Amino acid sequence: MNSNTSPTYNIPVVNVEHVGLRFGDVEVLHDINLDVYQGQTLALLGHNGAGKSSLIKLILGLIKPTTGQLTVQGGRASYQPVNLGYLPEDVSFYDKLTGWEVLSYFAALKGVKAPRVKQLIAEFELEYAQHRPLKTYSKGMKQRLGVAQAILSQPDILLLDEPTVGLDPQASQFLYQKIASLKQQGCAVIVCTHELSIVEKHLDSALLLAGGRRVASGTLDDLRHASGLKTQIKLPNFTDKVQGDGYLQSLRHGQALLVASDERKAVIEYLVQQKSCTDFSVIDPSLEAIYHHFMQQQPLNPLPSDIAVATIPRKGWLQSLFSPIARQSQL
Amino acid sequence: MNSTLLTSPILVIAYKELRDSLRNRWILFMGSIFMLLSLSVTFAGRAVTGELALPPLANLMSSLSTTSVFIIPLAAILLSYDSFVGEQEAGTLLLLLSYPISRTQILIGKLLGHSLVMFITTSCAFGSTAVLLLTFGSQYSVVEVVSVFGQFIISSNLLALTFILLGYIVSLRATEKAKAVAGLLFVWFILVLIYDLLLLTVLVSDVAFMDKQLLNILIALNPTDLYRAINLVSVGTESTGAAFSMFGDIDWGMSVMYSLMLVWICALVVISQSIFSRKPL
Repeated sequence: MNSNTSPTYNIPVVNVEHVGLRFGDVEVLHDINLDVYQGQTLALLGHNGAGKSSLIKLILGLIKPTTGQLTVQGGRASYQPVNLGYLPEDVSFYDKLTGWEVLSYFAALKGVKAPRVKQLIAEFELEYAQHRPLKTYSKGMKQRLGVAQAILSQPDILLLDEPTVGLDPQASQFLYQKIASLKQQGCAVIVCTHELSIVEKHLDSALLLAGGRRVASGTLDDLRHASGLKTQIKLPNFTDKVQGDGYLQSLRHGQALLVASDERKAVIEYLVQQKSCTDFSVIDPSLEAIYHHFMQQQPLNPLPSDIAVATIPRKGWLQSLFSPIARQSQL
Repeated sequence: MNSTLLTSPILVIAYKELRDSLRNRWILFMGSIFMLLSLSVTFAGRAVTGELALPPLANLMSSLSTTSVFIIPLAAILLSYDSFVGEQEAGTLLLLLSYPISRTQILIGKLLGHSLVMFITTSCAFGSTAVLLLTFGSQYSVVEVVSVFGQFIISSNLLALTFILLGYIVSLRATEKAKAVAGLLFVWFILVLIYDLLLLTVLVSDVAFMDKQLLNILIALNPTDLYRAINLVSVGTESTGAAFSMFGDIDWGMSVMYSLMLVWICALVVISQSIFSRKPL
């Protein structure tokens, strides 16, 4: 985004400059610029195959950019990065192990001690099931365990790929409450999601991708402004109040006022000054509306995994086992 | 979990693999199969000749290695086929790679864990057979039995290691667990059954190009043949029957054959590592 959108800090922990990524002949990401700050939540939005997961893998250091520069806390992203937490999409862990064993396993791999595991088990309300095998866990319980795993080392950067998919609203709210408390501690959070109505309440900025290219980025206000979508202001006894007011009449659209984002503040101030208009509701364009506005012209893209497979000549199952490494594996 | 006390990621991963095998009763199951096999061969093997007596040690090892060469690779394949493709399907491979662990550490950790599993199963099964043999067979000397069974357990584990690593290679290349199983059964079929059959056919047909040196090379090119050769040469090939006469021509000593087995293992580790390091995510 390259604009300072941090609510509390001014230190970019993730800096992406003109990053491009190619798998063979297929361009997965093109000229992506992005800064993520401490204490900020960034939402990566886009259709399936837009390049969101590839961008996360780049930040994790699992793949290298073809062009451009990517730094994480000032250093080059590698497979041994800084203190970083990650929850992949739809991870099912090890069904035969218990919740305690799974969390302890990942804790041991990060050098985190048992008291922290105990603390997280309690914090994520999994104490009652900690000694049960994971195959008995519900989707929500597994996802809670997954987030607990991601924050084991109290990370500076947290990457969550579809953290709320398949969760009920209460479980989603629980997860975002946890994310909010991490943000307050200075953790930068990058969320990749399709659940726009949920993430809207929690994000500081968003990057909209389509076909590996930036479509729009910025804070919610930036995106509203860029989209040109108007804010709707509703007044009780609308006709009476607007009648005879030339300024409000000029904004009238049906039974509401439609206000451009750059006029929004002025109109609200005007309404507050009108003593007869103390009670009104402001309905800003939702993230979903903004998303659809930007994406309606964008083509639906194939999944990156499909792109990767597409570069490998199709063979029989036996041949495919022994076929040469595809070009993307060189990354 | 005690693994929180372990400091090396290799040991943490090895411990997890060991616990997985204990949890899904793999060790119990495969240990029982091995024990049933070794006890049957030891105590009932001579029934086919019309007598109920304990066999001479050379004959016993010949029979044991001939039957184990089918079962041990199969067990190793069952243990390793989903090591990577299974983790990939579950999403945990991507997660593991986001941790401060190298791919080599993951590979070696799994190998260590699976080797321990195979060592426990083979040692318990064949070791208890050795103990029973000493208990019921007064004609055997303790030193001889310990030496022969010790060698058998070590070579069995080396053979298992090669097939565990073959399992990793196929698991790293496969896109689904079912494909990994099918691919490995094909590898097992070729190395354990077809290769020997072809080798014997060439030997029997007495073709001109087949000399002792070529035969040695062809035996070295298949770990299952090396395994058979180690166990048959160790007890003396002259007492092991005509079907194994091709191993009687082998020139190498035990140390060379063990070294060749280790070369196989090292080569497969390098290949697995190379594939894993280039595996697309």
